[in-house]
Amino acid sequence: MPLNIDWQQILLHLLNFVLLFAILYFLLYKPVRKFMAKRAEYYETLDAQAKQALAEAQQSRDAYAEKLAAADAEIADRKKAAFAELEEASELHRHRTEEQAKKLIEDAHASIEADRTKMLQEARHEITGLVAEAAEKLVTSDTTAQAYDRFLDTAERGESDV
Amino acid sequence: MKSKKRAVAIVLLAVVTVLLFVGSVLVKPPGAHADIREQMRNAVLHDDDRISLFGLLDVNPGLIAAFSVTAVFLVFALCMRIFVIPRFKIVPGKLQLLLETAVGFFDNLAKTNSPHRNRFLGAYLFTAGSYIFVSTLLELFGFQAVTVTGASVALPAPLSDINGAIMLGCLSYLVILSGGIVSNGLRGVGRTLKEFSLPISMSFRIFGALLSGALVTELVYHYMQLSYGLPILVDVLFTLLHALIQAYVLTMLTSLFYGEVSEPVLKKQKTQKTQKAH
Repeated sequence: MPLNIDWQQILLHLLNFVLLFAILYFLLYKPVRKFMAKRAEYYETLDAQAKQALAEAQQSRDAYAEKLAAADAEIADRKKAAFAELEEASELHRHRTEEQAKKLIEDAHASIEADRTKMLQEARHEITGLVAEAAEKLVTSDTTAQAYDRFLDTAERGESDV
Repeated sequence: MKSKKRAVAIVLLAVVTVLLFVGSVLVKPPGAHADIREQMRNAVLHDDDRISLFGLLDVNPGLIAAFSVTAVFLVFALCMRIFVIPRFKIVPGKLQLLLETAVGFFDNLAKTNSPHRNRFLGAYLFTAGSYIFVSTLLELFGFQAVTVTGASVALPAPLSDINGAIMLGCLSYLVILSGGIVSNGLRGVGRTLKEFSLPISMSFRIFGALLSGALVTELVYHYMQLSYGLPILVDVLFTLLHALIQAYVLTMLTSLFYGEVSEPVLKKQKTQKTQKAH
């Protein structure tokens, strides 16, 4: 053959290459590739775990945020209710106070009226007493004729004064 | 003190260099009688430097080099499998990083260029790339073998042997063809057969690149005047460079064509064609 081409040697080269392929494939390529795939899988697992943890953290954060929002809303509701209750209580208290004040004033008026009535009655009694006493004195000190004269004098004086 | 020591070292180095140069001029090299044209012819055709394969067959030194490379790989791979791979860590060390980079590079090359079907392709590219790179570097070491005539010959890169290059080119083509058949059946065969020049171009590209490297090195070493300093560039750097380039080129081409023929046929194309026909 030209150029020293020899089919037998080509086949021997082929045999050698096939042997080399088997050696390199089973002893180097496959185990190294397997390890690399295993490591890639390991990092993918780590990545997935990290993503899952992140998602869980995000979920927890959202849940806590939701809880916080609910708590805020509840606090606001309770605050509002408390304010309303407080206002109601305050209104009631004010109302009671006003009623008490009104009652006090009415009582005071009644008391004053009672005192006044009482005082008037007492004064009337006193005046009556005094008149009676004076009349009794008059009656007891003069005679009837004298009293009658005096009465007439008094009456005349009264007319002249008029 | 340091500068004095440095001056002494430089002077000694210069003296040794001059002595070596004079010695090499005065003493004739062993291959001085050999004709350069004969050496070149042997490098290509291996008429006089055949090696006996276990007494069964006389073969080119390239085949012996190929078996040697496989043996080296076997020992290396066994050591890695037994001592290194079981101790792999999540955060890799230097050796683990080297292995993972090599496997990852060819795996990614297969995945990038052939996204639809790449499991076998990745393994093939890893083997072919490693084989081309390491076997090309083998010629740097100059391991000696005894020919059938009793002479000593340095083991060349296996792919600078035409038989090795044809094997790799044709095998790569068959791998591409298999990808086409598995993915698209007869359509895949058609797609692959369209690139009928591939086995020849891939075989002769790699053969030409590696052989020319070997021939240039042979030429440089033949002339004593060129063998000072120049081999650092020609032998070491060029060998490293074309080992890398050839490994990359063949694996890249194989993955590209494999991806092309194994690409599934889109139904849209069919409908577009039918619309155009109407």
